[in-house]
Amino acid sequence: MDDSAAREEVRSLLASGLVTEVFPRADSQDDALAITARLRGADGLRQKLVIAGFTLETIVYAGIEQPCSTCMYFLVHRRYCELSELKLPVEPEWSCRLWRM
Amino acid sequence: MSFLNAEEPSACDLVTDFGINILWHPSLGMELGDNLQKLLKSCASGQTALDILVFEGSVVNAPGGTGEWNRFAGRAMKDWVRDLCKVATFVVAVGDCATWGGIPATAPNPSESQGLQFLKRKAGGFLGTQYRSKAGLPVINVPGCPAHPDWITQIVVAVATGRGGEIALDDFQRPKTFFTSFTQTGCTRNMHFAYKVSATEFGQRKGCLFYDLGCRGPMTHSPCNRILWNRQSSKTRAGMPCLGCTEPEFPFQDLAPGTVFKTQTVMGIPKDMPTGVEKSGYIKLTSAAKAASPRWAEEDLFVV
Ligand code: SF4
Ligand code: SF4
Repeated sequence: MDDSAAREEVRSLLASGLVTEVFPRADSQDDALAITARLRGADGLRQKLVIAGFTLETIVYAGIEQPCSTCMYFLVHRRYCELSELKLPVEPEWSCRLWRM
Repeated sequence: MSFLNAEEPSACDLVTDFGINILWHPSLGMELGDNLQKLLKSCASGQTALDILVFEGSVVNAPGGTGEWNRFAGRAMKDWVRDLCKVATFVVAVGDCATWGGIPATAPNPSESQGLQFLKRKAGGFLGTQYRSKAGLPVINVPGCPAHPDWITQIVVAVATGRGGEIALDDFQRPKTFFTSFTQTGCTRNMHFAYKVSATEFGQRKGCLFYDLGCRGPMTHSPCNRILWNRQSSKTRAGMPCLGCTEPEFPFQDLAPGTVFKTQTVMGIPKDMPTGVEKSGYIKLTSAAKAASPRWAEEDLFVV
C-alpha cells in the first residue's frame, strides 16, 4: 500500500470514532518503553493506533503542543512516522502519546 | 593498550624521536618480579629520576582503606602510587579510572576506588586537592574510556619537551587543547542535528543520534571528531552514540535496561540538554528547524 492510501486508512479509522489511549502520555522513558513493548505485540493497524493514542488533532500536554510535525520521529517531507514500532504515514497536525522532541 | 595504538606520535616515536626513556609499562616493560620492585624502589627513593608518571586504573582502597585488593609488585598498588607521586616531576592520569574513578567508583563502589585527584566530580581523590607534582602542577587528567592514544602521547611529548608548564587545564584538570570543544565538534551528523532529523537505529547513516539514541555529543567535552580514532572515524560517524566517557559522571544513568543508548526524556523533552541550551529555547528551535528542514536531510547523504 502506498503512503497516501495507508494515511487515508489511518484517517478513516480515527474519524470513524476509534477510541485510542490518548492518556496517560509517555512522561518518562519507562512509560515510553512500556508503550513500545505493547506496540511490538500489537495485532494490526487498529491496535497500533489504540495503543499509541493516536488523534487527528494536536494534543497540548503540560503546556506543550505535541503534533507529529515537531516530533523527532516525523519525516517532514514524506509525512511519515519513523518510530520503529509504528512506521506509518501521518499528517503534521496529528499526535500520539509517544511524541518526543 | 590504547597507548600502544598511538600514531601521532606513536609509542616508538616517543623513544626514537623524542628520546623518552620508558622505564616501565605493563606491555613494554622488561622488568618483572624482583627487578621491577628494585626499579620502583629506585624511583621512589629518587635514585632513578622519574620525570613523568603516567598512571592508569583507579586507586583501589578496599578492603578498609588497605588497598590490598589491588596488589602490585609486592605491596598495595596505592602505596606505590603515593610514593611515586611524591617524586614525579609530572603526573598524568590516563583514562576515567585514574582521573575520577571511572566505572569501578560507580556507587556502591565496593572497591573503594578513587581517581588520583578526583572522585567523580568531587575534587580531592586519592592525592587530595593540594597535591602538586615536583613541577608544581596538579595531576594532568586525560580521561576517556579508553583515552585516545594520541591524547596520551601528545601530552607526554609536551611534557618531555619542556612545555609541560604551558598545558592549560580546565576545571577538571583536563588539557584545554583537547577538552574545550565537544564530541559534536566535527561530527558528520551536525547537519542532521541542526535540522532535527533523528537516527532511529545504530549504524544508520542518516540522522543525528541525540534525539533517540542517547548521544551525549552536545554535552561531552572531547575531540573525538577532531582527532579521529584509528585516524579514520569516530563513534558518532559510525552510527554509535557518544557515551560521554570523558566526563566525570560516566557511566551516566543507572545502567538499568532501557537507560543506555536511549535519550532520557521528561514529557517528551530531553532530560539532558545540549550544554547551555534552555528547555524553552530548545522547543522553539526544534519546531523552527524541523519546519525548515530540507528534503535532502531525510535522505541517505553518504557515498562510498
Ligand atoms: S511518534 Fe511522533 S511522529 Fe510518530 S505518530 Fe507519534 S507523535 Fe507522530
Ligand atoms: S550524532 Fe551526536 S555528536 Fe553527532 S551531531 Fe548528533 S548529537 Fe552531535
